[in-house]
Amino acid sequence: MSADPLPTPYLLAHIQEALATDGRARELGVDVTVAGTHVVLNGTVATDAQRVAIAEVAAEVVAAHAPGHEVVNELDVMSHDEGGSVEELA
Amino acid sequence: MSRIAAVGDIHVGLDSVGEVARGLQHVNDRADLLLLAGDLTRCGTSDEAELVADELAGVRIPVVAVLGNHDHHGDEPGKVVEALTRAGVIVLDGTSTTVDVGGTVIGVAGAKGFGGGFAGACATAFGERAMKAFVDETRREAARLHDALVGVARRADRTVALLHYSPVEETLRGERLEIYPFLGSHLLAEAIDTAGADLVVHGHAHHGAERGVTPGGIRVRNVAQPVIGHAYRVFDLRDPAAEGRSVA
Repeated sequence: MSADPLPTPYLLAHIQEALATDGRARELGVDVTVAGTHVVLNGTVATDAQRVAIAEVAAEVVAAHAPGHEVVNELDVMSHDEGGSVEELA
Repeated sequence: MSRIAAVGDIHVGLDSVGEVARGLQHVNDRADLLLLAGDLTRCGTSDEAELVADELAGVRIPVVAVLGNHDHHGDEPGKVVEALTRAGVIVLDGTSTTVDVGGTVIGVAGAKGFGGGFAGACATAFGERAMKAFVDETRREAARLHDALVGVARRADRTVALLHYSPVEETLRGERLEIYPFLGSHLLAEAIDTAGADLVVHGHAHHGAERGVTPGGIRVRNVAQPVIGHAYRVFDLRDPAAEGRSVA
């Protein structure tokens, strides 16, 4: 395997594939972007544990294919707050 | 009034114990019916479905659900349905049910739906078998939803179409345009507009928008939990007949 980083489109595809198929993540709703040497994860996931696991999976792909890049975990966790207005539909 | 709570994409996994239940603590007081718009589990295993059942144990109002793509990932949707059904959840799959809420009968017709995209930028049943199968799946889902809506309308005062995939583009705004064909299909909207409904509820589009409308003027709400930012959304589906006025 080359030590050179994968071109960005291929790196993104590898990360998205891993997030969908790795049993620790199983998440298709993460937005992955690359800014310089930073791989940024955005979106909302079900639990704190899944938030951490997704970043771990992404970091493994980055370590294998884009050495020198770093994962930035900007993921949010779903709110279980019961508030919110009631929408009236006549 | 008929208060309908709805949420989709709760994605219950083995690390989720207690999270969803905590968010549903007061739903019995806030709503008369709870709709679950698919992706109840993360990987579609029967173990996860049992966890969903546990999370719903405190819900005493009727619960009606459809499955989502995550609920199919384990290739055992039948076992997922069995676990949910044992817990009292009514799981719809091209079928319908009715719930009497204080004398107003709410009819819910549900189907998972599927993708294909939207008019002008959609898949067509042409070429390879895989492409024809893809489009045929959506056509089949749309047809079954249509028939379920027509059937339930005969015995309900108000009707709701419950889906996982989106019937319109409006509730996908925020998602990348390139993935719209994987998020929904105009065939679902056409089926709903032809059959008629008072409200459409769906999930699936985590980065989408909450509100939309079908070309026929039926309100569409994306209740994917990442979109609504709460445990569920509540809709007060008023019965115009009971209130002595006509539907706009």
